[in-house]
Amino acid sequence: MPGPDKETDLTERIEAFLSDLKRGGSGTGPLRGSAETARETTALLRRITAQARWSSAGDLMEIIRKEGRRITAAQPSETTVGNMIRRVLKIVREEYARSRGSSEETDQQESLHKLLTSGGLSEENFRQHFATLKANVIEAINELLTELEGTTDNIAMQALEHIHSNEVIMTIGRSRTVEAFLKDAARKRKFHVIVAECAPFCQGHEMATSLSKAGIETTVIADAAIFAVMSRVNKVIIGTQTVLANGGLRAVNGTHTLALAAKHHSTPLIVCAPMFKLSPQFPNEEDTFHKFVSPHEVLPFTEGEILSKVNVHCPVFDYVPPELITLFISNIGGHAPSYIYRLMSELYHPEDHEL
Amino acid sequence: MNEEELVEYFRAQMRKDPDMASAVAAIRTLLEFLKRDKGETILGLRESLTGATDCLTGVDSSVAVSSGGELFLRFISLTSLEHQVSGLPGTRPFLLHSWTRSSSREILGVKLVTFVNSVRQDLSRCKKVMEERGELFLEKISMSRAKVAKLCHTFIKDGAKILTHSYSRVVLRVLEKAAAEKKRFSVYVTESQPDSAGRQMADALRKLNVPVTVVLDAAVGYVLEKVDLVIVGAEGVVESGGIINKIGTYQMAVCSKAHNKPFYVVAESFKFVRLYPLNQQDVPDKFKYKADTLKTVKNLSEEHPMIDYTPPSLITLLFTDLGVLTPSAVSDELIKLYL
Repeated sequence: MPGPDKETDLTERIEAFLSDLKRGGSGTGPLRGSAETARETTALLRRITAQARWSSAGDLMEIIRKEGRRITAAQPSETTVGNMIRRVLKIVREEYARSRGSSEETDQQESLHKLLTSGGLSEENFRQHFATLKANVIEAINELLTELEGTTDNIAMQALEHIHSNEVIMTIGRSRTVEAFLKDAARKRKFHVIVAECAPFCQGHEMATSLSKAGIETTVIADAAIFAVMSRVNKVIIGTQTVLANGGLRAVNGTHTLALAAKHHSTPLIVCAPMFKLSPQFPNEEDTFHKFVSPHEVLPFTEGEILSKVNVHCPVFDYVPPELITLFISNIGGHAPSYIYRLMSELYHPEDHEL
Repeated sequence: MNEEELVEYFRAQMRKDPDMASAVAAIRTLLEFLKRDKGETILGLRESLTGATDCLTGVDSSVAVSSGGELFLRFISLTSLEHQVSGLPGTRPFLLHSWTRSSSREILGVKLVTFVNSVRQDLSRCKKVMEERGELFLEKISMSRAKVAKLCHTFIKDGAKILTHSYSRVVLRVLEKAAAEKKRFSVYVTESQPDSAGRQMADALRKLNVPVTVVLDAAVGYVLEKVDLVIVGAEGVVESGGIINKIGTYQMAVCSKAHNKPFYVVAESFKFVRLYPLNQQDVPDKFKYKADTLKTVKNLSEEHPMIDYTPPSLITLLFTDLGVLTPSAVSDELIKLYL
């Protein structure tokens, strides 16, 4: 029977995705990039929409939320998963509103205007059944997937506006987005790149190798030398793991140091971040904000004697406050950090902030 | 409803529920005024409401009352726009036609009366809608403090030391919620002269079993190195995203910026007001001093102002019932409402 088979198939896929997430999240080592995670999450959500049993938009949203909570619990620091789930929930809401023919789309957010003019305390409960809803939602999710495919290219296309000839650019660690960004500019401009190695994983080395293969003059420096070299740098271009709701970043450790050094020298700090990295979280949750991995990278276990006398920590992320950032370059263009709240309201519905 | 009744009703509301925000009491009073109003036109209604608001600001000159009044007036305009009071369709052109055709005053008189009756019916229907919506609005904004508390308490971590200024019911609510969530924190409150409102705040906090210390207003810089975050309320939130609050708030904001401590503001959305002060002098005198002072004293330059303005560059985040906002998001909200 196709019914139960589909369901077990679906649950199997979800379980496989969950275990993959749990395993693959070790620092910024050999794991999947955020873009792949986002794509896989969206594909999984499309499968859930197609195969799970639901009769109204409310049911679908409940199913997505339930699965979403499980998936985010598997790897809390991987925020792209949560972001994609919220995007799909917003898609469901929009398609529902469109099917009902109401113009409520623009008025979904809480606002003073809505407080004054609404006629009732009625909560939209999404119980009506529409035959075309499934097809519409799946189509919209496909559009989202196409958007995801093109994000890196869209960001790289903007490179020529920001990078000029004979400039010295600094970056830290390894970001696929920044790599594509710099490679695209290198086709037409000649410039130098200084890469901070970003200990203890030293992803900067791989970045430098990749950039020099593309013909860009690259220098690798230790993290401690960032301030010393900063006076010669024209721009700092970095990637990030997450963009927080206040415009701050959760980026690889060492980024805050880089940002402070750039501020001191009044060097512009540009962050290349696709829209799926935008998360409605604020930097207040201490327990979920940081991720610690094996301290083996910092102090190898072979140093037996010292281990009993010291505590060794290896945090993966850093918080960068919004005042240190000059510009965000995303697949929809460049924005100031103070504009992030607006993008947030366009991408997610406020009721979905808490899954 | 004449002036004395208005003032008496307002005072009664404030006495009945000392926990209610003054803006909410003002809106409640204006709603009552609307119910008892015998006016015939929307324009007349607006004028009498403006007069009533002025009367209320004469009693309590805070920014909140003024913003509540303006919000109510906006509410009236929006509702009346939706229910256009234009009389029966075709009546007016018919009237003109008959004026030119018929010279009989009787027929004209009858037609005028029917026109006025239809307008009156429309107006009473419109007023009914306004009253219903007004009650709904009041219900919603009475829940706004709970919403703010729900958003803000997650920012208070275990073991946090909080600094606050003067007596704010919203901040109290937030701290109540955090204490209810079993968080351990301690609070420093400034005494906040000239009315020593800080002591009232300290008493209220002691009842919640929160360790609290009252500090001098001058000791803010001294105590800031021990503090983790600063939370203040606001009497008004201005268009730029800055706030108007009890005197001493600006000082606290500048010091927390210097110490790199987050400065959070908690305010309900009905406190958003259409002012754009660029510096302290720009804040209108009618807000700076108490209502009695404004009436009795001739030379205001010898009086101490009761409020000051904190620019948005010093504020980290604003917690409102519309969500957690950065200061730049405030003007967006105001634009959505007023334009």
